[in-house]
Amino acid sequence: MDIEEVKQRAGPREFSPKDDLPEKYRKAATRMIQFHANSEIMGAYLERPFIREAPSLDRKLAFSAKVQDEIGHGQLLYRAAESLGIKDREQMLDELANGEGKFLNCFHYPMDSWVETPMIAFFVDGAAMRRQATLKQSSWEPYAHAMDKVCFEEGFHVKHGEAILYELMTGSKSEQERTQAAFEKWWPRIIQFFGPTDDKSTHHDFSADVGLKTMTNDELRNAFLNAYIPKAEKYGLEIPDTPRIRENDDGTYEVEEDDLDWDEFFTIAKNDAPGSHEQIGKRNRTQEAVEWVRNSMDGWESKSAGKTPQAAD
Amino acid sequence: MIWEVFRQEQAGDYHTHCGNVHAPDREMALLFAEIQHGRRKPTNSLWVAPQEEIGEVDTEDAEFGGTTDKSYRWAQTYSFEAAAEEVAESENEQVQAEAERQRGDD
Repeated sequence: MDIEEVKQRAGPREFSPKDDLPEKYRKAATRMIQFHANSEIMGAYLERPFIREAPSLDRKLAFSAKVQDEIGHGQLLYRAAESLGIKDREQMLDELANGEGKFLNCFHYPMDSWVETPMIAFFVDGAAMRRQATLKQSSWEPYAHAMDKVCFEEGFHVKHGEAILYELMTGSKSEQERTQAAFEKWWPRIIQFFGPTDDKSTHHDFSADVGLKTMTNDELRNAFLNAYIPKAEKYGLEIPDTPRIRENDDGTYEVEEDDLDWDEFFTIAKNDAPGSHEQIGKRNRTQEAVEWVRNSMDGWESKSAGKTPQAAD
Repeated sequence: MIWEVFRQEQAGDYHTHCGNVHAPDREMALLFAEIQHGRRKPTNSLWVAPQEEIGEVDTEDAEFGGTTDKSYRWAQTYSFEAAAEEVAESENEQVQAEAERQRGDD
């Protein structure tokens, strides 16, 4: 199949591993899905300490389930990426460990305090879910299939995050103030989640033309702001003055791009912010610590060639 | 190696393909399938099979149902009197299958 035919046929779940797809499609899809898979893993690492820090048993159980889910999403997505035939899982995990693998901007910042948890678990996950719901229509079928399961599980994450936000914003004065401060710190990063406006995004045109994604950054950012600004206000959060956000008459929002720190964003995109080094290093050390498990499984696979061993008589 | 995973939601349902996992042998494939595909979605049973053991034939290679007019094969062709309940049910299934087939042809 050539690129023109791919563009012509592009539609929801149109292409599967059976199709002979041009390298350009397979590379673009790999880049996108690998980024997504990496982000699931890095998000899980950021939230893992809060299993321990959780203020109650219920929160501990919920955070533990959520972290499990995110790691599982990473695994699902690495499979969806692998099936494109460009990179295998081992390579993608190595790239994540050695600092080549890219992931979501919000997961490059340290998260130190419990009041920060809803910034990820409610706003970032809410933003991610908005995007993921549209990816059920992706043209790469294994990706869309993974999104079915991801979205099935993600609803709990967002609502759990919302429950924490509600609890904090109806808590003590100090809790409310610290939550507001955390919100002000995270808000610009959350807006940047959707990347620069479409005229600055480099990858969109091709991925849209071949149906890998169906909505632009601008549309997604708008949809997110439409749903989440009223929610933030409802819980008593004040939307920070910067970045300036104008509401148009047609219900869309316009973010004043110059109010956001794009130097920081693009430093993060190169995995070169202080938080990047910290998070990547943390995961790298964990990967090294369990290397013996992977090695022993690989050794077992080549020895047993996938057969279940017979029980000794 | 890669193992394809099939999940049955409830006893009596079909096992439906739901994804695949890396695993060095069948025992671990079942364990990983359980963790990856059976933990959150309703699950009564899981199957795993080595990816290379799955055979497939699809509409590119085959004309399912043949290429000639097979209307003589369908119950809806033969309508005289109201049919017995179980016969009408079978006919409904065939009408739906035919509608589905025609959608596929468009």
